[in-house]
Order: sequence, then C-alpha cells, then structure tokens
Amino acid sequence: MARFLKLRTPILTVALMALLLAVLSACASPQNTFDPKSDATDSILTIYILVTVVASVVGFAVLAAMVWLIIKFRAKPGVPAKQIHGNTKLEIAWTIAPILILLIIGIPTMYWIAGTAEDPAPNVLEVEATGHQWWFEFTYPGMGPDGGDLITANELVIPVGRDVRVTLHSDDVVHSFWVPQLVGKTDMIPGRTNVLQTFNAYEPGLYYGQCAEFCGTAHALMRFRVNVKTSADFSTWADAHNAGPAAPEPGTAAARGSLGFATCSGCHAISGTAAQGRIGPDLSLFGERSTIAAGILDNTDANLKAWIGDVRSIKPIPEGARFMPTFNDGTLDEGQIADIAAYLNSLTAE
Amino acid sequence: MAANTGILRRPLAPVGIWAWMTTVDHKRIAVLYGVTAFFFFLLGGMEALVMRVQLASAESTLVSAATFNAMFTMHGTTMVFMVVMPAGAAFFNFLVPLMIGARDVAFPRLNAFSYWLFLFGALFMNFSFFMNAFPDMGWFGYAPLTSNEFTISNATDYWVLGLLVMGVGTTAAGFNFVVTILNMRAPGMTLMRMPVFVWMTLIVAFLIIFAFPPLTIALAFLTFDRFFDTNFFVDIGAGSDPLLWQHLFWIFGHPEVYILILPAMGIVSDVLPTFTRKPLFGYSMVVFAGVVIAFLGFGVWAHHMFTTGLGPWANAAFSATTMAIAVPTGVKIFNWLATLYGGSITFKTPMLFALGFISMFMLGGLSGVMHAVTAVDSQQQDTYFIVAHFHYVLFGGAIFGINSGIYYWFPKITGKMLSERLGKVHFWLMLIGFNLTFMPMHILGVIGMPRRIYTYAEDMGFEFLNQIVSAGAFIIALSVIMFIINVVRSVRQGEPAGDNPWGASTLEWSISSPPHHYNFAIVPTVRSQYPLWDENANVILPPALPAHDEPVMPDPSYWPIVVAFSITMVAGGLIIWQGHAIAGLTVIASMGLLGMRAIYGWVLEPMEDEAHVSVHH
Repeated sequence: MARFLKLRTPILTVALMALLLAVLSACASPQNTFDPKSDATDSILTIYILVTVVASVVGFAVLAAMVWLIIKFRAKPGVPAKQIHGNTKLEIAWTIAPILILLIIGIPTMYWIAGTAEDPAPNVLEVEATGHQWWFEFTYPGMGPDGGDLITANELVIPVGRDVRVTLHSDDVVHSFWVPQLVGKTDMIPGRTNVLQTFNAYEPGLYYGQCAEFCGTAHALMRFRVNVKTSADFSTWADAHNAGPAAPEPGTAAARGSLGFATCSGCHAISGTAAQGRIGPDLSLFGERSTIAAGILDNTDANLKAWIGDVRSIKPIPEGARFMPTFNDGTLDEGQIADIAAYLNSLTAE
Repeated sequence: MAANTGILRRPLAPVGIWAWMTTVDHKRIAVLYGVTAFFFFLLGGMEALVMRVQLASAESTLVSAATFNAMFTMHGTTMVFMVVMPAGAAFFNFLVPLMIGARDVAFPRLNAFSYWLFLFGALFMNFSFFMNAFPDMGWFGYAPLTSNEFTISNATDYWVLGLLVMGVGTTAAGFNFVVTILNMRAPGMTLMRMPVFVWMTLIVAFLIIFAFPPLTIALAFLTFDRFFDTNFFVDIGAGSDPLLWQHLFWIFGHPEVYILILPAMGIVSDVLPTFTRKPLFGYSMVVFAGVVIAFLGFGVWAHHMFTTGLGPWANAAFSATTMAIAVPTGVKIFNWLATLYGGSITFKTPMLFALGFISMFMLGGLSGVMHAVTAVDSQQQDTYFIVAHFHYVLFGGAIFGINSGIYYWFPKITGKMLSERLGKVHFWLMLIGFNLTFMPMHILGVIGMPRRIYTYAEDMGFEFLNQIVSAGAFIIALSVIMFIINVVRSVRQGEPAGDNPWGASTLEWSISSPPHHYNFAIVPTVRSQYPLWDENANVILPPALPAHDEPVMPDPSYWPIVVAFSITMVAGGLIIWQGHAIAGLTVIASMGLLGMRAIYGWVLEPMEDEAHVSVHH
C-alpha cells in the first residue's frame, strides 16, 4: 500500500486532474474560465492549469502521506512511540522544497505580469467603460458622429481579432469589470482610472460579463454582454449607430412610441435623435441588443414592457437610490408603454 | 473599606449571576468567551443557512436581495469577530495561565473589561436587526458604498461603531496576554519550554497590537465621514480616495487571518504529542515558523487588491511575498506530519479534529497559493473559488482546530468527559458536510459564479453544484446539533475526568479538573518542555490547600463591566444623536460621566478587598 501510494500518487493525480480539466472545460456555463475565447484568458488558463496541477500533486501527496502515517503508526500494544524531537537536515529540506515548488509557479507568474505591461498592437480599439449602480456604460472615443464619442450601454460591441483595451471608471461605488471567457477582472473605482488587460477575441459571439465587486443591493443583477462581431459587422454597427434611426413609418406603434419617448429623453439618449439624456443608459440601436436591464432579461417585447412599467418588480432598487422611475403607476398607460417598447425594438442596424 | 461601601457594593459571593458579571477569574472569563462565541456561531451559522436555502435554486425569491446581502455581511462579520476571535480568546484565557504555571493573567480586571466590550459591541451591532437596519454592505465595508450617500439607513453606523467597541477590548486583551506570557511564567518556564499554544498566543497578541490600529483608524475615519461629514473616503473631487479604505482594511485584514488561525495551530501542536505519545517534531521550527508567518503577514495585504489596478510592480511584489508565506506554513504542516512518524497514535476525538485540521487547512493553503498568482487571481477574485479557499482555511482550519481544543480541554474545564461516540459522529458529519459544502465551491468559482450574489440565472449552469453545497451546509448543521447533545449530556451525566485523562504532558494537567480558583496550590518549578512526561522533571503538586492557606486572588469587580457598558452606550448615543440631537447628547454626556466615575472606581479599588484579605491573614 505504502509503495503504491508513494509511486502512483503523482501519476494518479495527473490523471485525475486531466479528467477534472476535461470536465471543467466542457462545463456548459457561459462564464466558464476554463473555456477561454481570447488570447488574454488563454494565457491565464495556461498558468491556471500549471498551478492547479502543482497544487493538486502536492495536496494529494501530502494527504496520501498523512493517511499512510496514521495507518502505519496507529497504536499497537507493546510498540512504544519513538521519542524523536526533530531532525535538522529534514527540516531544512522541507523548507527548501516548497521554495523550489513555488519557483515553478512563481517564474511564469512574473512573466505574465511583465506581459500585462506590454503595449498593445497599434490598431488597438480603445473603449472606456463606466460602472453605474447597476449597469455598464461603454464609450468609444472618436468613433461617434463628427469625431465625438460613440456611447452605448450594457452590450459592449467589439471586432474579432483586434486588440481591445478597456479603460475603467466608476460613477458611484466600486464595481469590477469581468468577462470570464474574454478577460480577467479589474475593478472600476471612483476617482481612479484603471486599464483592463488588453485582449483579442478569437471568434464572434455573445459573451457574458458581470460585475464582480459587491456594489450594493442589486449587485447580482449588474451584468452585461460582449458582442464580438466580424470586422465588417462591427463597422456596419458603428455606422448605423452614428447615422441614427430612420423615421418610423407614420401611424405605427413605433412612430407613436418615438413621440412618447420624450418622457424618457431626459435620461436616455438615442444617437441621431433629439433624445440626448445622459443619466441612464444610452439606448441607440436598442433593437440590436440581446438583453435588457443590464444583461438580466432577454430582449423580448413582454420583458421590455414589464421593465418600462415597473423596474422595481425586476431589480431590487433600494428606496432613495437614483434609478429609473416606475411608469405603470399611472404616468403611462399600457398602450403608451407598448408603443415605447415597439419604438425601442425598431432601432436596428438595418 | 471604602471600596466595599456605597452603591456598588463589591460582590464577594462565589456563585450566582453577579459572581459571573463581576468575575476577574481568567477561567470564568474563558467560559464566558466560549459560551458567547458558541451563541454567535449558531447565529452566524443560521445566517449561512438562509443564504444556502436561497442559492439552492436558480432565480430563487425566498429572501430579498437586501436580506441576502445582510446575511452575508453579518455572517462574515459574526464569524470573524464574534466567533473565531473570541473562541481563540476563550482558549487563551483558560489555558495560558495554567500552561505557564500562573494563577491568573497580568491584568485580571482588564481581562474582564475586554470580554464585556466584546459582548456589548457584538450585541450592539446585532441590535441593528431590531432597528430594521441590519448591515448589508459587506463585512469588508468597501468605501464609498459605506458612505451616507449609498447607505441611507443606520446599518453602517451600527456596524462601524460595533467594530470600534469590540476592537478596544481586543486590543486591551492583546496587551494583557503579552504581559502575562512575558512576565508571569513559573520558575524554569523559559520561552523555549512553553507549550506551542502559548507561543501562538504570544504571537497573536502581538499581531493584535499591531494589526488593530489600522482597522481602528479606518473605522474612526469612516465614523467621522458618516457622522461629521468629513471627507476621508467620500468626495473624490475634493481629494479623498476610496482605495485608502481598502489599504487600511487589508493591512489589518491579512494579519487578522493569522490572528484567526494561529490559535488553532497552537492547539493542534499540543494535541498531536498527546495522542502520538511523542514530542512535537521540530518544536523550535514550529515556533519560529509561526513568528515568520506573523511578520510576513504584514507584507501581503495587497493580494486582496490584485484587481484594483495597483500596477505590475506592486502586483509582482505582493505575489512574491504571498508565495513566500507558504514556506513557513508548509514547514508547520511537514512538522506536524513528522510528529505522526514513529508515534503510537490513538484516535480520540481531539486527535480526529486535529488531523482534520491538518488536511483541510493544507488544502486551503494550496488554493491560497493559487491566487497568489495574479493571472489566476484575475479570474478567481470575488468568485466562489475564494469563498471555498478561505472556508478551507477558517472552517477547515480554525473551526476544526477549535473543535479539537474543545474536545481536548473540556474535561479540564468542566471536570467531565465528553462522549467519544457522539464526538466521532460530530467529527465525521462535520468533515463530510464541510467538504460537500466547500469543495464544489471551487468548481463554481472556476465556472464563473461571483460571490455575494443573491441570485443567479438558470442558464448559468450553477444550480446543480449549489444544491450539493446547500445539502452539505445542513449536514454541518446536523453535526453541530450532535455537539450540543454531547455537551448537554456530558454536563449532566458525563464521566468524571480526573486530573489528566489523556496522559498529556503540560502543566494544566497536573492540577485538578476543574482547577481551583487559584490554579496552583504551589507555583511549580519547570525543568522540561514536557514536564509531566519527563521523569527527571516531574512536577509533584499538592492537590489542594486547606482554606486558610489558599492564596489570595483578585476579588470580583463591578467596574470593568460598567466602563464597558458606558463606552458602548456612548456609541449608542451617537446613533440617537443623528435622529434626536438633544436625546443623543444627553445619553453621550451621562454615559461619559458614568464611564469616568467607573474608571475612578476601578483605579481606586484595591485588587483584593480588605475584608477578604483580613480573613486570610
């Protein structure tokens, strides 16, 4: 038994770890850190696996040693305990051994840190992200109309295969920007400007992000999506964003909604229209977004109407917090809410 | 004479509620600490169960977001400040004087004062529950979420003032134990003959003295921000910085981790020799490793802040120091394992919990090394992986170690044995429940579940593992019920323990169980690290003394509890002041005066009552 444990433990551990890694990377979670989709998370995973294997080998080896010791040296009649007080050579050995093991993980760690300080590619896409209680705002400096800012919210749109560098701000409390499959997290701290590790997404798709630092009552519902598009689609999206929506066909719900949106325009902006409020999320190209309410509900007509009617039935907004008012308290009737929803979802890139 | 007249007549009766409220006997204060810590352990455990029921299903609406946030805030605050720290204090109080051959701590009334401040501070904070203002901004209280702008209720006020009150008591206890251990050792009890537990207590006491001031400063700043509109953490435009809070909090917070774990390391280092029947392997290495951990513990705080954008240099430096702290920790684990080698091991409940401690703490240490790697931390920070890690350290470590200590010294404290059978049921249920609860959390962290979320969507793939976690939490709860049954049964009908039921080696086992109020009839002379095992250094003590020969011990005093009460009520006055200025100021002024009066009473009161002294002399 002892011989088996001694020799086979590392092999067994590695086999177990390989199995665990396979299971983990196959896990169907959209926030699985073992299923990276960018160069940044890929480089993290390499070290992650190394560290996991080292820690597991050490862990299983020590556990196995402990099990062996307590079986071997359980009390037996007539066998007294050996009165050993210590062994200097051994103790020095197991002071040095952890240092050597730590070097195995420490050196790659330092290399990785040095890598984060490297400059990104010259064609890097610069984005500014601002955390608000409880939603995300994204600004693309210089990409908006007339060389101004392009502003959107809760769905970060980026091109595939191009370096992206996100600068982080907060409007109120500490938040943390995290897209597990694309980039590790960095905090958004009021009064400070942080820069997220540069990342380069491998393939187009919709990725889940979430605020990772506790930021108050609705922290759990402060989420977002990253929409990775092909280069061409990204340009189409940005151009449509800047051009603004075509006037809706008169007499339709969307047309009525575009007028009704005046109620909302004090806080919300839609690029290319008179609505330029900057208190709440920008709603340009709203019909293109997959989710509403900061990444927590699918963008369906029913969800949107419920959200406009009473955000508090969906998000736990504490009393006194600065957030969207409730509209189904008589401020707007059901028809008006439906019109506004129809208008918002008519805002597409086509 | 003067001391025993007036309104607060000095209580000299040895039993009854007043005897307990005015006691200055370190053994009674230990029991008070222990019972209080256990009460809060149940409270904090129930808070955990609320969270686990909520998270057992996706999109659960069992409790509101605000309630859930209050649960994790108070679960963390309770377990750290009201359970593990006072449980450690219970052991320090009971054991240190007995282990070093002293009759009490250096400052018995200060000792009582520490306990009452802890109790009142803890009750004060929890009182917020009845005022509909349960703290819900996280046990770490990150600015500026704690400012008046973002916390509208009084919740943060109760939290910050409660912590300040408790911190005063803790700091006083730190000084008390440094002085006790350095000055009150029996003849021959050199530093390197002290039981490892005493060493760890000494280290923890120093950690408290150096780690609590930064916390106190941070809390004082926050108090001023909240009550007097100062600007340490709030108005960024005017020059404050929310990151300042994080630095101050973690400069306290990381040494705090060692304040929580070193007592358990001490317990295990003394339990292992008893149940292996051999000395601790490499005593001096274990001691020095503890000292090194304490020093390094002050140089690793920014690993809690790897994601705050400190930059590559700071991250590299703190990553290196954090990895370095694994070395002395590893040394301890190897020395404990080497203690098993060549032993004659018996698996009594204290030993099972000690072995549970070594294995579970070791796993927690290894996952801790994982997030010393900043790359990995950028994915793990604020996820359930971190929750898993620190529960392996603080539950698998500290709580298992404390349980080992409870089963080991309960016979000494009460004079009765706990049931071995129930103890084993307790251990195995707790070990299984613990691993079911916290092992899957590693995977939850890997697949991207953030901490402190009151709900998660169904499509996240978190539900199945969360159900296992919740089931495990209830198995832990069941194991605690086994413990309660065991204690109740033992107090009623437990077998008498005798002086030394485990055949242990240290001084506390040389006297009766429970010990006399004066501990040692004759102060022993120590000639060995293991005095009761060493034939040449055997301590032969008279079992008890006739009443007229009993040593004179410090008499009970009202003043510690009165001073502690007045300090706590001044904090309460501040909260009243926010709503009703006159009422608040009245409370602050009257309680301030009461506190002053009590401090004078304390200063002028002799340690031993004259009437009492004259009886014996």
